[in-house]
Amino acid sequence: MSIGKFLVRRILQGVFVIWGVVTILFGLRAVSPGDPATLMLGEGATQELVEHVREEEGLNEPIYAQYVDYLQGLVVGDFGYSWQSNRDVEAMVIERVPATVELAVAATIVAVLIAVPLGVISATRRNQPTDYGATLFSLLGISTPNFWLGLMLILVFGVWFGIPHPTLETSPASLAGISVPYPRSVGYSFFDFPTGRRAVGFSEAFVAVVRDRSFSELGVWLQYIALPAITLGTYFTALITRLTRSGMIDELGKPYVTATRAKGLPAVLIRYKHVLRNTMIPIVTVLGLQMGTLMGGAVITETVFNWPGLGLRLIDALHMRDWPLMQGIIVFIAVAFVVINIVVDGLYTYLNPQVSDE
Amino acid sequence: MISERVKSNLKGTFSESILPKIGLFLLVSIVFMAVFAPVLATHDPTRTGYFTEHGTEYPPIGHEFTTQVAQEGEFAEVTVESSSEHVLGTNNVGQDVYSRFVYGARVSILVAIMATTLALLIGVPVGLTAGYYGGRVDDALMRIADTMLAFPALVLALALIGVFGESPVQVPDPIVMAGFADGMPETIPLPGTVTIVSALVIWVWFARVARGEALSLRNQEYVKASKSFGMSDRQILLKHVLPNSLTPIIVLATIQVAVIILLEASLAYLGFSGTTLSWGYEIERGQDILRTRPWVSILPGIGIMLAVISVNLLGDWFRDALDPNIEGSERGA
Repeated sequence: MSIGKFLVRRILQGVFVIWGVVTILFGLRAVSPGDPATLMLGEGATQELVEHVREEEGLNEPIYAQYVDYLQGLVVGDFGYSWQSNRDVEAMVIERVPATVELAVAATIVAVLIAVPLGVISATRRNQPTDYGATLFSLLGISTPNFWLGLMLILVFGVWFGIPHPTLETSPASLAGISVPYPRSVGYSFFDFPTGRRAVGFSEAFVAVVRDRSFSELGVWLQYIALPAITLGTYFTALITRLTRSGMIDELGKPYVTATRAKGLPAVLIRYKHVLRNTMIPIVTVLGLQMGTLMGGAVITETVFNWPGLGLRLIDALHMRDWPLMQGIIVFIAVAFVVINIVVDGLYTYLNPQVSDE
Repeated sequence: MISERVKSNLKGTFSESILPKIGLFLLVSIVFMAVFAPVLATHDPTRTGYFTEHGTEYPPIGHEFTTQVAQEGEFAEVTVESSSEHVLGTNNVGQDVYSRFVYGARVSILVAIMATTLALLIGVPVGLTAGYYGGRVDDALMRIADTMLAFPALVLALALIGVFGESPVQVPDPIVMAGFADGMPETIPLPGTVTIVSALVIWVWFARVARGEALSLRNQEYVKASKSFGMSDRQILLKHVLPNSLTPIIVLATIQVAVIILLEASLAYLGFSGTTLSWGYEIERGQDILRTRPWVSILPGIGIMLAVISVNLLGDWFRDALDPNIEGSERGA
């Protein structure tokens, strides 16, 4: 099958999946308790006003008409507007994307940088102390709840070692001893109230480096992202270490390794150029499928560290029962998941001649 | 159902490595703790107000901490000492940390076992039927599976809880009812919604695996032969396909128990579990006072970690023993 045909088929499947996600969410919203108009206006609204809003929002129309309406909106990129803040959902989603992408990419980089060498070393020195250490580490990594890990990192680095770090700041509310509603974060207080923006994002830091040759913003950004990235990345570090180890062990047993060895190639070259490359192909596919876990982990990590990404906004929306915002964020996450998996599968087909021949 | 080969494989891998032994020991301890929680606990886990004379939390035994308290209109620094009454201290609403730790195991283990069982009961029949018959049913199932997988598990669970609410189910405690533990709560709150929602989130994995197995088994000679002998599809599914698909399903079920322990903890941490008697919730409760009184959050996290480790170790053991592919590849290395 050619790459073109493959892509068309996968994209059609992807569209179907997104439609399914949208439909399931719409169905959930339809059966969920609570009247949207009341949720929008608050408990004290008069009956007249509620009726007026119901009429205006089309809530009195039959459910299938509302569904068609919602789908039509989505097709042209109109996700409706938030019941709580009256802002466009698209805008509320888009403004939170950079923070989540930064966190997810940083976590993946941390994971790959640690896990791949660790897995290779573990596989080439089987049943030696290094291997046992790596195995123990990956067992702990896949078994630790990441919200707890985040708190422990704050405790160890921020409190016990006293490393000056933005995490030492608690949010203004908890500093004043005020009990705040969910989600409560002990992490960062870099929400610049009242605008709710971050002190510094990667794009600002990058611009500062390129334009002003100033690295201080980048330093601040790294300080902010280090602990959240480790928190989110630990599970994946552990997972990739395991996969790399078992994949390498598999590959090392194959005849071509003996052949290249007989040819006199240095062991390091064989390991990293040939064996690792063949090992990585299936790992990339697994990672694509694990994107959902990464996003779920991001929701938790963002809550712990007060990281102003999509996950934190999703939790807010859930607590406020703000369905349009919730739907918007989840649909966005699903689209990202589908796109990433199409790209990963495309790469896989491209890299692996056995698949594209079928 | 379980062949001699499988049994000897299980025994072999168990005696070869120390890891399955650790896993089994941990799991047995945690289940023991969960079952006999009312006997093991020293205090009613729901009773609040165990504070020191200064009105602060108790630190764990062997620890003390200093804090500011208001005395006669002024702030004064006091050193708070531990009490032998509260081995692991108390939390910010004055509950006994140790007793809540013991009870937390119940919620964690019960939710994980019930949700996995429920997911098995939904996923396996659906998957087997789809794989065995193929065609449209199968196509529909695979599309549903793809759609479900496009939701991160935690996100889907959160959305479902948004619909169904988060009511805990009060379950009578047999140990207390039998009179073995006076003064302990007679019912325990179980997060019913979380259980059902977890099952709805993971059933699709069982369906996928069962489908794959049925798909490969339906073309086997003995299945075809049974059909020609006049066995009905239903009989074939129950007598031949199901027993031969069990191995990968068991391995998957073990992994999913670990997934659900973490999912339940995460939901409780985010405040969506509906019960406060949970390790995840306890971690959330302690995070406001993390800097000065970290014991409230540390212990429940260790509980979750040990529970998940035990299940993962058993999962690795089952996989190594039951999956011939992995066994072969290990030998080839």
